[in-house]
Amino acid sequence: MAFREKMAWLTLVTMLVAYGVYFGIVGPAVRFGEGRMLDIIWSFGLVATAHAIAVIIGAIAIAVTATKEAQAKADERDRAIARRGATIGYYVLIVGMILVGVVMPFSDPPWKIVNTALLAIVLAETVNNVVVLLSYRRGWHG
Amino acid sequence: MAERRLTNMIRTLRFHAGEMTQAELGEKIGVTRQTVAAIEQGKYSPTLETAFRIADVFGVGLDEVFSWAEA
Repeated sequence: MAFREKMAWLTLVTMLVAYGVYFGIVGPAVRFGEGRMLDIIWSFGLVATAHAIAVIIGAIAIAVTATKEAQAKADERDRAIARRGATIGYYVLIVGMILVGVVMPFSDPPWKIVNTALLAIVLAETVNNVVVLLSYRRGWHG
Repeated sequence: MAERRLTNMIRTLRFHAGEMTQAELGEKIGVTRQTVAAIEQGKYSPTLETAFRIADVFGVGLDEVFSWAEA
């Protein structure tokens, strides 16, 4: 498995676990930000920090086991796949931003808007990584 | 119109080049071993520049490496 494919798996899995906990379990349970907007920073910030630490530790572990490969620059296939993931992820992000920036201000409280914006970012990044992984697995004919 | 796809003879050419490894070929043309494997398996269509580089490594013409064949 390519170094960058392993990195995409690492990012995707840690992201699904970390933000799955926030949005799927913890978020709805305590309704972060409903009482105090600052709660979002503490709760989401904690999850984002935990995610970042998990990715850094995982990346070091992957790099250690694939030293030479990890040092290699991304080649044309890696760049093409990354572009494809970013492009599709961008559309997801745009839809989310239209929702939180144009639609929700007329009907929803600020804490919901902020959480939806964060969810849109997480979804866009998830889609990005899924597309990258599918492209490595199934092939890329751009 | 019949569906066509890009096929290649890289595996055969590597064999005739003293069983050159995918990593060695990748190093010569500036891509990773995984990308060479993906090209060989038809999972990735290389850029024209890389295609020419591959042909150059084996000292053959582009049409001896790649062909546009019916699937």
